[in-house]
Amino acid sequence: METFLNILVSGILLGGIYSLVSIGLNLIFGVVRIVNFAQGEFVMIAMYATFFCFAKFGIGPYYAVFLVAPLLFVLGIVVQRLVLQPLQNEPMMQIFATFGLLILFENSVLAITRGEGYSLAGAYSNTVIELFGLRASFARVVVFFAASAIALGLMLFLSRTMAGKAIRAVIQDRQSARLMGINVERTYLLTFALGAALAGVAGALLAPIYTLSPYIGGNFILAAFAVVVLGGLGSVPGAYIGGLMVGLMESFAGYYVDPALKQAIWFIIFVVVLIVRPSGLMGQAGAEEVGLREQT
Amino acid sequence: MTQAPQQPTTTPPSFGVQLARYAGLIALSAVPLALLWSNPYWVNVLAYTYLFAALAASWNIIGGFGGQFSLGHGVFFAIGAYSVARLYLDVGLTPWIAIFPAAALATIIALLISWPTFRLRGPFFAIATMAINEACFALANYSDRITGGPRGILVPFRAGLSNMIFIERWKYALLMFAFMVVVVLITVWLRRARLGHYLLAVRADEDAARAAGIDVLKVKLQGMALSAFLTGIGGGLFAMYVRVLDPPTLFTLPEIGVKFALIALIGGIGTIIGPVVGALLIVPLENYLRGTLGGDIPGGHLIILGAILVAAALFLKRGVVGAVLAATQRSKRSRG
Repeated sequence: METFLNILVSGILLGGIYSLVSIGLNLIFGVVRIVNFAQGEFVMIAMYATFFCFAKFGIGPYYAVFLVAPLLFVLGIVVQRLVLQPLQNEPMMQIFATFGLLILFENSVLAITRGEGYSLAGAYSNTVIELFGLRASFARVVVFFAASAIALGLMLFLSRTMAGKAIRAVIQDRQSARLMGINVERTYLLTFALGAALAGVAGALLAPIYTLSPYIGGNFILAAFAVVVLGGLGSVPGAYIGGLMVGLMESFAGYYVDPALKQAIWFIIFVVVLIVRPSGLMGQAGAEEVGLREQT
Repeated sequence: MTQAPQQPTTTPPSFGVQLARYAGLIALSAVPLALLWSNPYWVNVLAYTYLFAALAASWNIIGGFGGQFSLGHGVFFAIGAYSVARLYLDVGLTPWIAIFPAAALATIIALLISWPTFRLRGPFFAIATMAINEACFALANYSDRITGGPRGILVPFRAGLSNMIFIERWKYALLMFAFMVVVVLITVWLRRARLGHYLLAVRADEDAARAAGIDVLKVKLQGMALSAFLTGIGGGLFAMYVRVLDPPTLFTLPEIGVKFALIALIGGIGTIIGPVVGALLIVPLENYLRGTLGGDIPGGHLIILGAILVAAALFLKRGVVGAVLAATQRSKRSRG
């Protein structure tokens, strides 16, 4: 029973990580309709920036997040304006471009760090919280609560503010949104930058948990796509709950089946969801087909 | 609805004329081999170049003509490679024959994978195929008994024609060149065949193609089968060429699955000769950069490759071949 509860807790905490990484990706995917293969690299860059803040200025990750998130916001603006805006209506070229960015970012960081592995782990992740005999790392608990708070905050932002309503209108129908006087291009820019900033938050909070490597983005991106497909395109609660579900599945399968097969497990989730319910648990039916092709 | 790129409306020249034209272009692509014959380093690079030209041309069948943007071709490549190695080592079958059952297996797996994923469109198909590639990567690492796990399979060096293992590197270059010629001939045929026209129709507008009475799923599956079969053969040739097969060599996306698409993009997606042009540009360039930058800047050659990929997506959407065609059309029009 205790093993079961421990796996449950570690699954939920892992799910928090996936939720945190997926919310930004899903925002970009659902609103701007761009498959951003470089999202994992945004997280990776944020992790290195956080490490840099700590190593150079002694700023801890939980303070650095307030510097790193705006930094990634700016990076998001630059990438969207220079690379993705010109390719707005060419999904195939977007795939090439974001994959090119993935290779570019990954190897630039590799070249700068010369492949040295950095880690903040010693300083931060050794703190363990113990409650009713269940143990959890402090850093992971922080990630879980941050993911929950961000999901809630984003839902409020989308439903209550004017900018959020504009984003929702664009998700539903960008042509009609334009006719209603919404500046669609600015909405794209804002959303993409927001998605990148969320990757920045994720990177800063994950920095104490993982050993940094230029390739770490690859660990997140496939899981994040699985979460997005599972939860539903453009749905914030979908990404949050989808993340928790993928985390739980991975945790249980890792214990009861084999940890080496976790990617195969994501894939099975992926394919089953795609076949049974391509719009995801909370997405709009049909969203995966329409919208990605047309809409000028 | 975005406007589909303007297709030339003139009727294509007769099969003989077209064949002669492509024969000329292919002969041209053999020129570097003739010039660098005595330089083993560059002969080696050219063997890779021709192999990847053939693989990109195979990808181009479904990815270019059919518009189904697969990032999972590394799977079919790996199945071809592992199967040939296993058949050669365990059964003692000569690779010349083993490539066919290996390619058939790759085709069967491709059809099983594609049947559910082909209902996805555009980027969703690309993500799903990428996920398949990563899942198979993990499975290949896991299933020790078939793939040798992370250590991989080592094919011992036993030179001989029947083993498809040669001491002289130029024999490999010729073998890969021959394979490239075969794949290009198949695409020349395909472009004129009914299936080729159906694939183009599906790419241009799936719903319109369906309305015109085309069985879209069947056409996609046929295109994928042909593409995967040729990719499987390429994997088998690769296995006997490098003779060390481990999962990172066969599944790493920027090195294999995405590279097929990248080469086709640089040359010209959906053109017959584009993949050959792309491979002749990219593979030697990459080797050159790896040689000059690799020591000083880790990953330096990939930084440049990534930048090329982004730039090509932005400014060279129809590849070198597309740009050249557009330029000649413009000059024709201005002349009269």
